Amino acid sequence: MDCVIRRRREVKPLHGWLYCDYLAQQEQAIAGVLGAILKQVVGRGDLPKDIREAFQKAKMVGGRRPLLADLMRMLRIAIDSLPQVFICIDALDEYLPKELPVLLKSLRDIVRGSPMTRIFLTGRPHVEEAARRYFTKVVVIPVSPSQDDIVNYLEMRRERDDEPGAMDNELWADIVKIILEKMSDMCVGAFGVSALSTMLTKDYM
Amino acid sequence: MAQTTNAHRIKLGDSNTDCGNVNNSFNTTVYNSGDAEIMRWLSPLEPGDRHNSVRAARHEGVGDWLLETTEFRDWMGGEGGADEAVLFCSGNPGVGKTHLR
Repeated sequence: MDCVIRRRREVKPLHGWLYCDYLAQQEQAIAGVLGAILKQVVGRGDLPKDIREAFQKAKMVGGRRPLLADLMRMLRIAIDSLPQVFICIDALDEYLPKELPVLLKSLRDIVRGSPMTRIFLTGRPHVEEAARRYFTKVVVIPVSPSQDDIVNYLEMRRERDDEPGAMDNELWADIVKIILEKMSDMCVGAFGVSALSTMLTKDYM
Repeated sequence: MAQTTNAHRIKLGDSNTDCGNVNNSFNTTVYNSGDAEIMRWLSPLEPGDRHNSVRAARHEGVGDWLLETTEFRDWMGGEGGADEAVLFCSGNPGVGKTHLR
């Protein structure tokens, strides 16, 4: 990945991301989500003139929130002004189900208008089908943690134990063994939007 | 305009070239009160806050394998245009889907 990043250093992509949460579905209605992505895309430097004008216009009519069409227009302008934009959405399966088609259609429209835009999604397998309805090709990577990942994670948790003396090596070995056995039966998404964003940004510091 | 000010500030995660140390805290952009108002108008959501907490809990190195896959590299390159714009990481719920890294 480092070689890809180096190759694309001159492009300086921006990215917006979102963590979906089923506990906050009402707050994550489509306008709020696209607005949040827009905020991150324009979040560096001066705000674009069209956004300022739209805001002033909205204030004159009582501060009405931007509608989906307004946000899509502003987002398109912002993305078109940049070499490349990455949009990352974590836990798509936790997004408001009734608005998921609108979100996917909006993402499709963005990509059609700006073909260099990349969309990174994570979610449970059933959401993959929803994504396929809106995109000709969806590259799917099944995600599960390697045993090394799990052991490393457990070691990290052990180091944080506030009573390290309460566990001897034999007990620890048993715990690791049992967890690895149980984990082998599960397919766990171990990679999130944050990992991607770290990768995208760390070479641009 | 993004600049430092002491009054009416909001913070947004800034993932761009102005980032500081991404291993520790996520860099933020501070807006003057006028721009902060516009940002709130655009959306009440603040994904940067959630991002910071995820980063703090993440374990270094976990998930790096994904970044080395051909699929990811091809997608990242963007040569496929709109037809290959979407990468979907599929996984059932379990421990640390977002935090294991």
